[in-house]
Amino acid sequence: MKKIESTCIIDDDPIFIYGTKRIMKEMDFCDDILVFNNGQDAIDGLMDITAQGKKLPSVIFLDLNMPIMDGWEFLEDFVKIPNHNREKVTVYIISSSVDPRDVERVKDYDVVNNYILKPITPQDLQNVLAEVA
Amino acid sequence: METHSFNFLFKESIYPMAIVDHEMRFLNHSKLWLQDLGIKDSNIIGKTFYDVFPNTPEEIKIIHQHCLRHTVKQSKIQTITQSDGSQKWVDWQIKGWKEESKKLSGLLIVAEDITLKKRKEELLLNIQRVAKIGGWEFDFVANKAYLSDITKEIHELPLDYEMDLEKGLEFYKEGEHRDKITRVVNEAVTHHMPWDIETILITAKGNERWVRSIGECEVVDNKCIRIYGTFQDIDQKKRIELHNQEISERLTIATTDAANIGIWEYNIFNRKVTWDDNLYRIYGVTRDKFEETIDAWEAIIHPDDKIHCHNEIELAIVNNKKCTIEFRIIWPNGELRYIRSEFTISRYQNGVPSRLIGATWDITEAKTAEQNLKELLEVTSEQNDSLMNFAHIVSHNLRSHSSNLSMLTGFLTQEEDENEKSSLVKMLNDASISLNETVTHLSEVVHVKTNSEEKMKKTNLLKAIIAVEKNIRALLNEKEAVCNISVDASINIQAVPAYLDSILLNLFTNSIKYSSPKRKPIIDIKAEVKDDVVLFTFADNGLGINLEKHGKKLFGMYKTFHKNKDSKGIGLFITKNQIEAMNGKIEVESTEDVGTSFKLTFKKTIENEHHKKNEKDREHLYYR
Repeated sequence: MKKIESTCIIDDDPIFIYGTKRIMKEMDFCDDILVFNNGQDAIDGLMDITAQGKKLPSVIFLDLNMPIMDGWEFLEDFVKIPNHNREKVTVYIISSSVDPRDVERVKDYDVVNNYILKPITPQDLQNVLAEVA
Repeated sequence: METHSFNFLFKESIYPMAIVDHEMRFLNHSKLWLQDLGIKDSNIIGKTFYDVFPNTPEEIKIIHQHCLRHTVKQSKIQTITQSDGSQKWVDWQIKGWKEESKKLSGLLIVAEDITLKKRKEELLLNIQRVAKIGGWEFDFVANKAYLSDITKEIHELPLDYEMDLEKGLEFYKEGEHRDKITRVVNEAVTHHMPWDIETILITAKGNERWVRSIGECEVVDNKCIRIYGTFQDIDQKKRIELHNQEISERLTIATTDAANIGIWEYNIFNRKVTWDDNLYRIYGVTRDKFEETIDAWEAIIHPDDKIHCHNEIELAIVNNKKCTIEFRIIWPNGELRYIRSEFTISRYQNGVPSRLIGATWDITEAKTAEQNLKELLEVTSEQNDSLMNFAHIVSHNLRSHSSNLSMLTGFLTQEEDENEKSSLVKMLNDASISLNETVTHLSEVVHVKTNSEEKMKKTNLLKAIIAVEKNIRALLNEKEAVCNISVDASINIQAVPAYLDSILLNLFTNSIKYSSPKRKPIIDIKAEVKDDVVLFTFADNGLGINLEKHGKKLFGMYKTFHKNKDSKGIGLFITKNQIEAMNGKIEVESTEDVGTSFKLTFKKTIENEHHKKNEKDREHLYYR
């Protein structure tokens, strides 16, 4: 099975980040992991990457509930980033919310590939690999 | 001389009279004889009666012969058709005379013109027939009853029917009607009382018929010897009257008892108003206290609605339209009532408006119900919102902790490295603390929602502000913050003291937490009374917030907008809930990097103010 070059996690919960990183390492999911604690930080960071002429991470795991800029707002701004490989980026919403309104809303965003319910499992990441890599 | 003078008097007699001899030849006649009988021939002396009246009927000729022979007096009425075709009634009075000494005999004839009398009689009969009025009498001495033809017709009896008193009473409908006529007849006989009653008769053919019976009695030696009177068929009139009465009663029941509708009329010219009893009840005034003028009516209307009412009425008169107005009135006891009135304009034939006629009813209950419904709807939709919010919190925040816990325990069971293990346990501990915190927040929110108004009490706003400010003096001093408090010491609000403290504390700490590093914090606190609420403003010169972006979420749970370690996104959420639990409101205005201003609305404590207000209203009305 192929390996993903670069992955991005946008979440404000340190425990989740720790857990996800740990699973990724265990199954050798990717080479590089970028972490942002809220939507604003993520936009700023991704803009930096673009400015340096580098490629965007091919998979983004995005939390919905975050301070300053939440996941929905991030999506609004993200699609405006002028990077040549932005369209090849796959976004996964990863949330603890079982609120059906959230699940429904995800369908409005073309850039979002799927909705993964926390806690994330090795099987979830296997599926992502199968889809993306 | 004597003969001449007699002759003169005869000529000038006030009667049309003539003297004929035994061969019916005219010997003499009065001037009126020619005039009244329309005789053209001025010289009839010597001519016979039958020459002058060729159409004399045979029976009168027989009377003439009879009177001549027996020297007696007889009379006979004859209708004469005159030359112009009109009818004349003549009452012939014929008397035979004889003068033995001169062997002379003849007749004295007086012809009385009774046309006028006859006409009147006919007219009277006609009137009786048209008005269906008959006459009757009972003679107790002769024990005889007399009924006029019309009376018999009303009874539908044959004209030759023989009536007596007992039979007469039996024609009345059994029960109240027969009892009534029997009672009045007894009263008449024993106490000589006249009567005038309306009862139902059952005719000989079995038809029910309303009649009016008027009776009087003739008393001789304190004894009633005869009762007599008139009898009128009033069936048609009575039935219409009864029908109208029924409709009117139905209307009264509908308006008075069922709908409580008051009826009024306003005379535009003399500015007088007329009210029915119901309207007095609606306006809460008594007849003796109301002047019955349009000004007196306007005095009852709430001062704020007077102009509106006045204009609507003027407009309705100009536009000639049916009009509905709604307004408030103040009862003499100060109570406020909502009123609706519908009216139309009545005009003279030349189009000039004369009167307004209207119906008015009290819609206070409907208005109150509408108000309550609106409030209920608001509360329900608010509660629905909070419920959704709550569901979201449960589904999201609680789950985020539980998912962390399950993930960490999963790692822990597989982990063999002791260092990593202790690190996992520490994380597990953090996660359980977070879970605990979230549960505490949730219970706080639920607590606010379920602790309703009953804990509200009169609270002095300024005292509460100063107490909270004192508590966080250290924090304010550390940031060198300045507080400008401009709140009147007399302002009391209805509040749950613990909530008020929590709200104020949250506003203060927010201002300090999100103060701008570029300047010293300044906090401006103001309060003003408006009607029955207190408007409270809490403004700072801090970081501010982009309301366009975050406005909707500002008071949501777990929403934070600043990169601040202390931000938990729970403070304003609880503040909003606490204010709403006290029937208040919170709004925000903010400009980024300039400052934030929270505007809060509290219910003012009413105390004795209510009493004063009523007194003021009354005064106002009194001086109008």
